[in-house]
Parts: sequence; structure tokens; C-alpha cells
Amino acid sequence: MADDFSTDGMLDMYLFENGQLLEQLQDMVLEQKDADCFDEDSINEIFRTMHTIKGSSGIMMFDEITAVSHKLEDVFYFLRESHPRHVPHLELVDHVLEVADFISNEMDKIRNGDSADGDASEIIKKLDKFLDKIKDESGGSAPNGKKEKEPPQNVHEEPKQFYIAPMATSASRFYRIYIYFFSDTEMVNIHAYKAVYALKEIAEDLLYSPEDILSNPDSAETIFKEGFKILLQAQSSEEEIREIIGVGYDIEKVDIVECTANEFLQGFDMEFVAPAPKIDLESSVEEIDARMAEGGAEEKKPAKPAITPGDFVIQSKAPGKQKKLAKDKPKAEKATFISVNLSKMDQLMELIGELVISESVVLQNPDLKVPGLNLDNFNKAAAQLSKISTDLQNVIMSMRMVPLANTFQKMNRIVFDVSRKLGKDIEFVMVGEQTEVDKNIIEHISDPLMHIVRNSVDHGIESKEDRKKSGKPEKGRVTLSAKTEAGKVWISVEDDGGGLDRDKIISKARRQGLLDDNKPDSAYTDKEVFQFITLPGFSTNEVVTEYSGRGVGMDVVVQNIQAIGGSLEIESKKGLGSIMSLKIPLTLAIIDGIVMEVGKSSFVMETGAINEFVRVTKDMMIHEPNGEEYIMIRGECFPVLRLGKWYGLAEYEEEVEDGVMLILEVEGRKVCLFVDRLVGEQEIVVKPIPSYIKKVKGLSGCTQLGDGSIALILDAAGLVE
Amino acid sequence: MEEMSGLKRQVEEDKAAEKEHDTQKGKYMTFKSGNEYFGLEIQYVNEIIQLQAITAIPETEDYIKGLINLRGKVIPVVDVRLRFKQEPFEYNDRTCIIVINIKSMMVGLIVEKIAEVVEIKEENILPPPTIGRADKSAQNKYVYGIGKVGDSVKLLLDPDKLLNDEDMSVVEQANEMNEEE
Repeated sequence: MADDFSTDGMLDMYLFENGQLLEQLQDMVLEQKDADCFDEDSINEIFRTMHTIKGSSGIMMFDEITAVSHKLEDVFYFLRESHPRHVPHLELVDHVLEVADFISNEMDKIRNGDSADGDASEIIKKLDKFLDKIKDESGGSAPNGKKEKEPPQNVHEEPKQFYIAPMATSASRFYRIYIYFFSDTEMVNIHAYKAVYALKEIAEDLLYSPEDILSNPDSAETIFKEGFKILLQAQSSEEEIREIIGVGYDIEKVDIVECTANEFLQGFDMEFVAPAPKIDLESSVEEIDARMAEGGAEEKKPAKPAITPGDFVIQSKAPGKQKKLAKDKPKAEKATFISVNLSKMDQLMELIGELVISESVVLQNPDLKVPGLNLDNFNKAAAQLSKISTDLQNVIMSMRMVPLANTFQKMNRIVFDVSRKLGKDIEFVMVGEQTEVDKNIIEHISDPLMHIVRNSVDHGIESKEDRKKSGKPEKGRVTLSAKTEAGKVWISVEDDGGGLDRDKIISKARRQGLLDDNKPDSAYTDKEVFQFITLPGFSTNEVVTEYSGRGVGMDVVVQNIQAIGGSLEIESKKGLGSIMSLKIPLTLAIIDGIVMEVGKSSFVMETGAINEFVRVTKDMMIHEPNGEEYIMIRGECFPVLRLGKWYGLAEYEEEVEDGVMLILEVEGRKVCLFVDRLVGEQEIVVKPIPSYIKKVKGLSGCTQLGDGSIALILDAAGLVE
Repeated sequence: MEEMSGLKRQVEEDKAAEKEHDTQKGKYMTFKSGNEYFGLEIQYVNEIIQLQAITAIPETEDYIKGLINLRGKVIPVVDVRLRFKQEPFEYNDRTCIIVINIKSMMVGLIVEKIAEVVEIKEENILPPPTIGRADKSAQNKYVYGIGKVGDSVKLLLDPDKLLNDEDMSVVEQANEMNEEE
């Protein structure tokens, strides 16, 4: 089945949208995992998500996904309708996550072109049991409970159609509306329905009486006699409602009375003649149908055509409707999103890069340097152009920046899973998850981060007993934090566990022959020792668990991080815990740089890496006999690196007094870089050096300068080494 | 429907490419380096540009002259003479860069003199001689064939190997071949 769609954009869309939905679902579930129960919004949201997934999976004919999401939807339908009191919350969380995992898993299979062959029947059975359990516990007092008892084989039937209510918020107001029609109006029930239909657009909840207006032509009589009654929950004002209902040739009078939520919940009590069953927007059409049948009304189908266009009904065959729903959400706080192909973004990025370069080509054109030109107007126009192109750059950069929140949430899930399986009680704290990082980078840090977090939970945090013994609170704590500093993002995973055992690592390293036999253990700094755990095949853990301990991993982590120009730092105190910090570049695309020259070659250095520029005199230089040079600046001694000499360039300045010294600082280490002259500061578009050329130490890329020539970008970290 | 048209377009593109490939087949861009003429299958050749400012890259092989900016694209340039371990030559106004594209990598080749585009039929292409150099045959890399055009001979180059293989002296090879001719 999946094969028919494999080239279809629909499948991509399906995978993309549902992937996002599942992510949001997980976030939400984990956010509330420690609460006593889900709040109403979440229940609605989970219900909605499952409904959407069910619908789209139905279309794509992934039956197992459809079945399992249907079941979970049922559970949440029950929760929403019946508000059962005793719901084992953690169990429920488990169930939701299990379903989410199952679907993610299937979607991965589909993505890889395999058939979605997972068997959901186990999960469905569990959910059935769970549902029965909470139903029993709520003592059958649930008014709608009986509707939920669908036999399991029903899961493959045509998905039910639900009205999905827009989110109810505290801003809601409640109204009692009476509509009186002129007595000569024909088919007054249809007119009444028109009003209902119009109100649905704004309604959060809606009841009306008589409720069988569409199936029962006799309801017209009642409407004439008693007026048409509507209970409405919405955020709109009275005037707005009046406008929506509209006073036309048919309506004689509309009375709108605002009431309290309590009154609203009492429904059409005494005032109304017939006690109307609640027909809210959430009930299924079938249910309405069923109730009508029970009520002895005519066996007429509800007039489906009348409620199709733009209605809240989400039909399984119309996946586009969900979007409509999202738009209709009253006062939705979420910004609207569209999904864009990343390659298009890259293309746009590249074009803007070109634009920036062309701009400097124009503005620094040698033709403008002709003396005697009056450039006032040109300069004005040029300034405007520069401003716009800078803005444009900022926008495209911000488009590519994504908060780390999603990645962090994934970690939340891992902590939750692993800690539960290992029987550890762990509090997971996230700090700075709003820190934004280039999308490309996020993709690369997710796996390494996952590994580190897993390590922290598995090896870092001790078992409850051990924690008690060492006088720590039983509940362990893992903190995941992110911050931006000096053009880099620091992401650290901190645990208050046992920390790394320096002696253990050293003895293992000795055994593996990693240490110099002549050097005593104490000659190695903590930093050096801890770095050993990032070597392939190095694991101090005696017990290999499901999650970690095989010694593969940390080396891969380090490799992955280095691949994007980042680094890993490890700090640890035995008995107190450890901190693993990733340092990652914020973006790989456009940076502020200083352009400098050596001989005829131009180089660019990231502005952030340069501490200061200094003119020096000969007497500040210190020459070592082995040719190494140092320089004393304000009592501090820096090693000197002559760029021209180092790279063996054809020509370069020999005299220190004729050139410029740049003091670079990388991770606390400082070095003086000697170049011939500075050209200026410029925003540069980083381009990779073509792969044909082998990696040169100290070069991180190249860029195009204002005159169209190419300059090499110096990598401060590489130079300091 | 969209998919259909997409498929159709793909098929047509393929056809066009094939056709282009057909018309390009057997045609070689020839250039002079040292005393020999070399030929490159024309399908690899993107364009020929004038020499332009080259940014040298430190710590690379001497035949990699550096990077040039080809309309916003950064591409490396290789001096073919140096690559063949021939004597370096002075660049002048007539020095050209042949931009070739292999496996979606663009590389510029600096050559002394562009000759012409010639058609060489398959039957006129001989495998490089191996007599007396069996031990060296593994080294016989850049030149995959010798094309005869009238009285002259063009050494046909495999661009992939030209760029990626370890250093070796093509002159040596070429000379040997010439002798055998």
C-alpha cells in the first residue's frame, strides 16, 4: 500500500505533519507527567492530535496506526466527557507514550520505504483494559460512558466523525439565545439550523432545543410555539452574535441573555419544555443519530450536505480541514506556520549571500574612487540599500534559527524512560531551552546530546539506596542548560550523581596502555584523565546495561560534535556529579569578520575571536634560540605566530614594527598573530573550501570579498593549537 | 497528475541528456601542455574562462594553485603542467582555465594553450601501450587512451584520475608512449 504513495508528496506531508503532532504530543505529556492528571486543554489537545492522526492514517491506509490512534482517542474522549476521578496518571502517560512510540516507529518504517507492518493489537488490548478500568473506577456514573464500549473489532470501521470544539478558554462567555421566527416562514427548522450553523463558527460549546430540527419536520411547530433556544459558549460579544445570526426576513426577534457558566451547565432546565440531551460540538454524528433514533424521531439521516462547507466536521477524507480548524481557533496565540523545504531556505540563504557580496562590489567599486565625484545622492541611496540588505540577512538568519526546546524535550523523554526503567527517581530541569541555534546545527547535536543525557541518568545518578547512603536526596537531578556566549552556544548536561571516578579511569587507561609508563598518575590533570572516556572502546562501567556501557558512544559523540566545529568539555567531582559541556558554533553561515592582508593574500578572522589589535615595537619581542618568538604586552607574555611565515607565503612583512599584532583568545589561551595590515571589518558569507583541497590547519573556510576576490577564513582555534 | 507530469518531464530530460550525450560523444577538447597535446572528453568540460585572480592556499600541493571565484562559486584550480610534473610556465593573457565538472565537483584546469575540439572515432583510440612496462602499468592512470587525429596524437585524459590520483609523472608516461609510436 505504502508503495503506491512512495513518490507522492502526500506521503511526505503525512509524515511531516504527523511527526510534528507526535512531537508536540510528547512535549505536552511530559510537561504534565508529574501532575496528578492532565488538564482539560491537554486532554482536548491529545484527543485532537489522535483524531488528526487517525484521520490522515486512514486516508493513507495505515490500518494499524489508524486503529491504535482511534483507541487512544476513545480513551481521551472518555476522559473529556466523563471526567473520571481516579485515573492512574502515570499509567496513562505510559500509554500515551507507548502509542506515540508505536506510531513514530511505524512512520520511520514508512519513511524508509518499508511497509508499516507493526502490530498494534497488544497496545490496543492494553488500552481497552485501561479504559475499562477507569470506567469501572468512575462507577459508571459517566453519562456518556456507555457510548465508549465499542467492541475492539470496531476499530477498523470507517472513522467516526467528530465535531471538534475549539479550545475553551477563560475568556469564554455564556449566552442563552431565543430566536422567534415569523409565523409565515416555511421550513422554519432549516432556518433555525442556519443560525446554529452560523454560530458554530464561534462556538466553544453549543446546545439547542428542539434538537431534532433537521430530522423532524414537526420541530417547526415547536419552534413557532416556543421559539428556538440556543445555549452558546463563545468569546464573542452580544453584538457579534446578533450579527452572526443576522436579522433577516425570517427572524422576528432575537433575545440574547448572558448567563453564568453554572446556568449554562444546567442546560435547558425548567424554562424549556423538553429536556434536551446535550448536543455539543464534540459528539459524533452517529451519536446524535443514535439519540435521535432512541427518541423515536424519524429515521432520517442528519442532513450532511448542509454541514459540509467550512464546518467543524472533520471528515476523514478531507485532510485539509485541520488547517481550517486551526485558523478558526478564536484568538489563537500561536503564530501561523508554514513548512518550507529546507533546500529552498538554503537557496535563499545563498542568494542573499550573493546579494551581500554584490552589494559590497557596487559600494566599494573602484570607479567611485575617482576624485571630484559628487557622491552625496549615491551615498544616501547606498546607505538605504545597506540597511535593507542587513535586515534581509537578519531575517533569513532568524528563519534558520530554531529554539533548542524541541531537542530538549526529546531529552526529557529519554530521562523519563530510562529513569523509570532503572527505577531511579530523577528530576529533569531545563534551562534556556529558548536559546536559538541554526537548524543545521540542531540536527547534528541531537544524537550526541541524547547519548550524554542517557549516560548521566544511567551512570551518573546512583541508585536510590546509594544516594541515601551518601546522604543525598533520593531524587536525583539532571540539568540540561543552554546559553549563548561569544558567538557560541554552550549546552551542558549536569547531574548530581556519583561523578567520574578518576582512579578507575586511570587504572583502566594504564591497562589499555594509554598512559606513559614513566609518568605517575598525579601528573595527569583531571581534564586529561576525563578525556580518556571519549576514546573508542573505553568504558569504565562494569555492567553493560540496555542503555550504555559498551564503550561505544562517547567517541562517536565527540566526533559528531567536532564535525560541526564544536567541542566537548568534561568536569567532574567524585561524589558530587559531573558536567558535560558542548560548545557549538551558533551558525555556520554569515559572520562578522576582520579582513587582513599578508603579502598579496587576504585573510578573514571572525571578529569574536580577536581580543585586540596592537602595534608593537621590536624591543617587546623575545626570541628563543629555537626560533620561537614571544611578545611582552603590558606585562603579559604571548607566543607569536607570523601568519606569512607559518603558511610559507611568497612575501610577507618581516619587521614587527611595520605590521599589526592581533591578540586572539580561544578558550582562555591567547596567541599573537602577526599580519601585514588590516583592511577592515566586513560581514562575510562563509563558504566551505572545496572538498578537493585537503584540510589545512587553521583554515575554516573561504569567502568572497568586496572586489570579488576570495579570502581565506582563519580559524582561531586551529591557530592557537 | 502532478506526479505524472513530473515523471514525464524526467523522462524528457533524460532523453535530452542522452541526446546531448550522443552529440557530445567522440568529441574531445584538446589543449597543449609541454610538448604534448591532451584530450578531454567534452562532456566533462563546463566552460573555458580567462585566467583570473587566484587565491593561493597554503600547505597544499604545488599544482593546486588556489581558489578562483566563478560567478560566486568557489572552485579550486589546478595547474596541469605542474600536475604532470612538467616545468612550470609563465601565465600570460592567453593562458586559460578549463572548468570541468566531474561527479558534481567543479575544478579549473590551467593550461598553456587551448587547441581545438576534435572528433576521434572509437576505432582510432588505442589503449596506452603496456609493453615493457608491466611493472609500471598500475601507474598508467591519467591517460586511458591514445587518439589518432590525422597525423597527430592526442593523449586522452581521465579527468577523475587526473584530479584524484597520487602524483606521478605523466611526462614519463607520455614520452614512453611517444617513443613507442
